[in-house]
Amino acid sequence: MIATLVQTKELWETVVASVVAGLGVTFAFSVGIWGAGQFIELNRNERPLAAAGAAAVGILALAFVAAAVIIGIIVMTHK
Amino acid sequence: MSSDVILVIVVGTALAFDFTNGFHDTANVVATSISTGAARPSVAIGFASLLNFAGAFISISVAATVAKDVVDAEVITPTIVFAGLIGAIAWNLITWYFGLPSSSSHALIGGVVGSAVAAAGFDVILAEGLVGKVLIPAVVAPIVAMAVAALAIGLSYRVVGKQRPGIVTRGYRYGQILSGGLLALAHGTNDAQKTMGVITLALIANGTLGPEANPPTWVIVASATAIALGTYSGGWRIIKTTGTRIIKMDAAQGFSAQGAGAVVILASTHFGFPLSTTHVINGGVMGSGAAKRLSAVRWGVAGNIVVAWLLTLPAAALIGALTYGFTRIFGTGALGPVLVTLMALSLIAAAFARRAQRGAPVTAAGG
Repeated sequence: MIATLVQTKELWETVVASVVAGLGVTFAFSVGIWGAGQFIELNRNERPLAAAGAAAVGILALAFVAAAVIIGIIVMTHK
Repeated sequence: MSSDVILVIVVGTALAFDFTNGFHDTANVVATSISTGAARPSVAIGFASLLNFAGAFISISVAATVAKDVVDAEVITPTIVFAGLIGAIAWNLITWYFGLPSSSSHALIGGVVGSAVAAAGFDVILAEGLVGKVLIPAVVAPIVAMAVAALAIGLSYRVVGKQRPGIVTRGYRYGQILSGGLLALAHGTNDAQKTMGVITLALIANGTLGPEANPPTWVIVASATAIALGTYSGGWRIIKTTGTRIIKMDAAQGFSAQGAGAVVILASTHFGFPLSTTHVINGGVMGSGAAKRLSAVRWGVAGNIVVAWLLTLPAAALIGALTYGFTRIFGTGALGPVLVTLMALSLIAAAFARRAQRGAPVTAAGG
């Protein structure tokens, strides 16, 4: 009886969305911090090209975080 | 005329409940940001209040669940909703008085179910909604938040592990402005909607709205305002106690815990699951703490939460049922609810006076 009452599809989608969004945003934000750290470190070691590459990776990662948050809120408001 | 008086009492009681929900939950929403030094208490609380208000406007799925999927709205009367609210408030007051961590959300749903069963029997319960949308998500969501936070903090440490600590701490502190904001938004959207749902249920029961109606704009604005004001007011208590009760964690853990809590609440809200936001946020905090060191988690508190989980629905339901029975002694008019309101206000005043004499409770109830 319980099996028929559980909203398996919605519950499963909630779990998947939570795991994907939670881990995806955390990973991307961490990459952003990694990019900033590498940029400072590589600049200090006078490797400007590698520093610019690390900064670009970091900025892309932070842009992904911003996009994920905006898309998440748009999805919430359009049900 | 009599039913309009009851409706006014129900709306006032529901908004008071919403205010106390925000008041109780301020600690859960802002504690992590304050603990890690990501934000000053006054800034964190003001920011959380604003986002609580905004969050109430982004979805009505949870309100629809509370209004239409838990009990049969066709047999509900405003007095039943009133008795349910009294059941929830009374249980919150009892748990607050004894310092037990409980869920305002579960108390609200338990109270309404109890009073509805007392009025119309067990057939009034919509089992699919109660089990599928309330009970199962109530168990699953905190566990998911705990798992996501634990995996997220592991991932974070792996990515930034070789960076200088200064930039890592600063980076995650900035991140906590985002994750803390999302958590406040998520809290506002899930918790304010429960009040919207209950007021909508009362309006449907009174015949003011049709059976399939959504919450009117004034209900959304009033619920958003009540929870935001509650969060802001609760903040002053938090400022006083900050630093003595908050679990110490680093900024990366704070970011992971808040992020996990926010995504679980937002995803659940999207599907109309009314959660205990307190339990989900605590799940996130425990997950990020346990991933670093199992002994960092206060497992005794976790045990208390489980006990409160098991007790809240039946206890609030019992009080809701007894309240409904008491109001019916005075007939179907407004006299019963008016008397209960006066008695409840007297009891609340007495409890606050006694509590103030004995000192603040160790743990607060939450939403």
